[in-house]
Amino acid sequence: MESVQTGTYKVIGQGLTRPDADEKVRGQAVYADDFHVPDAWYGAIVRSPVSHGRLKGLRRNPDFDWSQVVVVTPEDIPGNNIVDMMGRDMPFIAYDEIQYVGEPLALVAAPTRHLAREAAANIEPDIEELPALCTLQEMVAQYKKDPEQLHELSAQTIRKGNVDEALAEADMVIEREYSAGHQEQLYIEPQGMVAIPEGDGTLFIHGSMQCPYYINPELCETLDMPPEKLRVKQSAVGGAFGGKEEFPTLIAGYCALLALKAKRPVKIIYDRNQDILYSTKRHPSWSRYKVGLKKDGTIHAIQCEFLLDGGAYTTLSPVVMYRGILHSAMGYRCENVAIDGHVYRTNTFPNGAFRGFGAPQALWAWESMIDELAAACGMTPQAFRLQNCLRLGDATPTGGLLRDSVGSPEVLEKTLERCGFNEKWDRCSRGKPGERKWYGIGVSFFAHGAGFTGDGEARIKAKVALDLEYDEQRAPIVNVRISSTEMGQGTCIIMPQIVADAMSIDLKHAAYPMPDTFKVPDSGPTVASRTAMVVGSTVYSAGQKLKAELETFVSETLCDGQPVVLRDNAFHAEYDGKQIPFDEGAAAYLASNGPLRVYDQFKLPPHIKWNQKTFEGDAYPAYSWGCNVVELEVDTLTYEIDVTKITAYYDIGRLLNPIMAMGQIQGGLIQALGYAAMEKIEVKNGKYDADRMQTYVIPTAMDGPEMDLHFVEYPWDHAQPGAKGVGEIPMDGLAPAMANALEAASGVRLRDLPITPEQLFAELQATQPRSA
Amino acid sequence: MATTFEEMNCAFPANLAEALELMSDEQTRGRPLAGGTDLMVQWESGVLPMPERAISVKHLPELRTIEESDDAVIIGSAVTHMQLRRSDAVVRYLPSLADAAATIGGYQIQTMGTVGGSVANASPAGDLAPSIMISDGDVIVASVRGERAIPVNEFWTGYRKTDMAEDEIIVRFRLPKMPEGACEVWRKLGPRKAQAISKVMGSCRLLISDGHIEQFRVAIGSVAPVCVRLRAVEELVTGKPLNEEAIAAAEACAAESVKPIDDIRSKADYRKWVTGRMVRGFLEQSLG
Ligand SMILES: Cc1cc2nc3c(=O)[nH]c(=O)nc-3n(C[C@H](O)[C@H](O)[C@H](O)COP(=O)(O)OP(=O)(O)OC[C@H]3O[C@@H](n4cnc5c(N)ncnc54)[C@H](O)[C@@H]3O)c2cc1C
Repeated sequence: MESVQTGTYKVIGQGLTRPDADEKVRGQAVYADDFHVPDAWYGAIVRSPVSHGRLKGLRRNPDFDWSQVVVVTPEDIPGNNIVDMMGRDMPFIAYDEIQYVGEPLALVAAPTRHLAREAAANIEPDIEELPALCTLQEMVAQYKKDPEQLHELSAQTIRKGNVDEALAEADMVIEREYSAGHQEQLYIEPQGMVAIPEGDGTLFIHGSMQCPYYINPELCETLDMPPEKLRVKQSAVGGAFGGKEEFPTLIAGYCALLALKAKRPVKIIYDRNQDILYSTKRHPSWSRYKVGLKKDGTIHAIQCEFLLDGGAYTTLSPVVMYRGILHSAMGYRCENVAIDGHVYRTNTFPNGAFRGFGAPQALWAWESMIDELAAACGMTPQAFRLQNCLRLGDATPTGGLLRDSVGSPEVLEKTLERCGFNEKWDRCSRGKPGERKWYGIGVSFFAHGAGFTGDGEARIKAKVALDLEYDEQRAPIVNVRISSTEMGQGTCIIMPQIVADAMSIDLKHAAYPMPDTFKVPDSGPTVASRTAMVVGSTVYSAGQKLKAELETFVSETLCDGQPVVLRDNAFHAEYDGKQIPFDEGAAAYLASNGPLRVYDQFKLPPHIKWNQKTFEGDAYPAYSWGCNVVELEVDTLTYEIDVTKITAYYDIGRLLNPIMAMGQIQGGLIQALGYAAMEKIEVKNGKYDADRMQTYVIPTAMDGPEMDLHFVEYPWDHAQPGAKGVGEIPMDGLAPAMANALEAASGVRLRDLPITPEQLFAELQATQPRSA
Repeated sequence: MATTFEEMNCAFPANLAEALELMSDEQTRGRPLAGGTDLMVQWESGVLPMPERAISVKHLPELRTIEESDDAVIIGSAVTHMQLRRSDAVVRYLPSLADAAATIGGYQIQTMGTVGGSVANASPAGDLAPSIMISDGDVIVASVRGERAIPVNEFWTGYRKTDMAEDEIIVRFRLPKMPEGACEVWRKLGPRKAQAISKVMGSCRLLISDGHIEQFRVAIGSVAPVCVRLRAVEELVTGKPLNEEAIAAAEACAAESVKPIDDIRSKADYRKWVTGRMVRGFLEQSLG
């Protein structure tokens, strides 16, 4: 395959500071709750107190003064009472069947937050309660008994070879089950939005979000408004992690419906408690494997069932499940694969996007399983992985060919070597009695699909624009116009870096303004570790186009038609050696022609083929690769588990900004540590129990272990600059590496996330009963 | 939620006498407000209704000092956790109390939160309770009727209940110094390494002479409605040689002495077991 990696990079690859760092550190960034909108009212939501029921009516307390507030019920919705996401099964405001605690039954707006909440409290629903199914445990129990009784929100299979035959041929068949609980994104800034009806009949929605082009068009049907009347703009976002992917459509819808009826701006800002109770979380998951092995350690057959607890409605759960099944047997050679993915309804808030999007759940199970498989055939986990891992030229479980940019097995080999795995593996305590501390080491190895799953990129066809225009100081600037958002990950610096190198200009001439749907084309959602790879490569090619246009202009108007090249921030005329600084040439263009916009669109390389029905082919345009080694100690007095060190290598393609990339890895690993060992939220009587930061425990800086982190670069070969994805992969490998290390330390295996001392205690009591 | 002193209707008496005066009358009585690190949270979450009035006690100079007598350290009720962990007298004579204070919240909470607030809040997860209990000291409360010393082991009468009357406030703690040659140990098990509310925590005071346990006091929190002294364990080992036999017996007895519950932070069976393990740890630690 021909590589397009011809560029030499000057600005790309530098660990430059992001332009928004200063205002964020100083507390000057303007978040949704910070804008002062004159005359704005506050919204509140009347919510269902039951998990499942039939709404008989709403009673308004006659003693309350309703003249001072606005109430929206389904009759007030201008269009269809439907949230236009996958499945189209979710109403904006429930009107008949209620599916979860907290489901909106009516909306209220009032001049103060307090009054809005008071009004909401004065509306009392009359509900006939119905039996509910609220937890993963109940869901799995029912699945084992009779799956037909469950309400299926989505299903998909993967088939390769013949698993039944292969299982029969295998020397051993290993069966295991794993599960994982909810995880709350817990971004610093809770959800917040304001909707402002403008004089010209447009509706302006401004707030905390990841994907402006989800809200428009998703709200158009509900508001009965054409897309060009709906302007959506992102404010500074204090973290999102997927939690502001699909959810903001809901809060934007509440604001919009209230604003249209009240004929004035309406703002809703959740407090932490509401945010935890009534927004999306990572899907709880359950995986069951049946794997056939040959005596020599070859993986001969993989059969897997992968279940997600979808919550009450479909939203985007199918895609989360797709990513889950695509990673459920990924990373290793096997000719016979059968995976069944299902999403079932439970009566809780719909679960949704969260960094990793199904892959962490899948890899938690699969990478734990790999250790169990290794043990079953008497191999070390490292030898088993090295023997079976996918390499350049191998095929994925869906038959996609790994043609290029494959950081395997290098990340695996390098990580094992760097941490001295072999020698440390032999030193593991394995539950040896009489020790003060048990030591264990564990490894995980994984690929993470970069870009949207399956036919996603082919459907989205990311569009980007570059605007050459004047900035506020009337200096020429190249503004990157994409709907991809900055939410902490560094889009606002990598995009200018890409433009600078694509055009060979100084970084100061490129900028990334916050997306506004009235100004930016749809470059797709800011999800799926796709921004740097898909949008970034399209911005690069747009930059080359803009460069060519400017070279032509300068050649014709300033250099008498000589060939002109824009290089090192100046236009160079070929014959007389004349040099014109970039800003002079660009200013000349603006003066004679006005602003210049160039567009470009992402095109998948032609060899990428995918069948969305049968799930065969290239599920992703490329993969990032990673390997995590966890070392930990168990205090044998208390079974407290202390992760002492993480060693890791990642191949995320071209490193655009090593500081940002490292920030993603470090922060992501800490978040993954929370998923692995701390974050626990359960549904009790239909309600989340850990509904405050007091009870929902995430890691602090003190919990961060020593980290020895490295990159190897296998740039994506089909576009410049060749980044793959870094956003999600840090979530993928820590939990299984920790469970693997814990088995090496304690001798017992835990198969349910999060891993806690309480679980270890219960397991050790069960396996080696002793007197208390 | 109230965010200003005006909204809280908070009085700032000029001195202790004035504060007690305000507390004596139903018409002027208010909720004592120290650092507010418990109260503000409880008000905001609706666990406690906003009272009609609050009375600041944190600013009262009479309540803010740490003093030493021959046999005790006298700690004002408005002393902060930060003051506590930095006090030479506390570090020297009540070391487990200093260690416990150092694990409360983060710096912000430590500089706002007070000993009096922690004790009056009467949470079984209050981290200072075990160290205060093993000192066998007194909580001194005051009202216009005068002062009274309540032995700490009688101060907490039930889940979030204390022996204080409506018009009383805590003024100080009189905590006997640990005897020469003794040691104290603090241990906290939380769901994470900082900013953690305890799953189980405890302190012990131990005096060994000639290989025998001369004094052993141990208190464990988060395993019952109030922090508990494990008297049975103390009696079991006092006078015994410090060896594996005594330790094993203490471990078993400790686990049997507590009746913890399942809650959001931990599980009853783990808490029971780990109470024994902590007692083992306390004794083993001094075994060296
Ligand atoms: C983020 C955070 C982390 C925390 N971490 C921990 C932790 O790790 N460990 C821990 O133990 N606690 C922790 N706490 C709880 C809290 O900080 C402590 O219990 C603190 O010591 C309470 O003191 P305060 O002065 O703030 O009390 P306040 O909130 O002012 O008062 C608490 C109670 O005591 C009463 N009161 C206060 N002073 C007196 C007095 N002199 N006489 C009579 N009654 C009085 C008040 O009326 C109220 O009922 C944490 C709290 C927060 C918000």
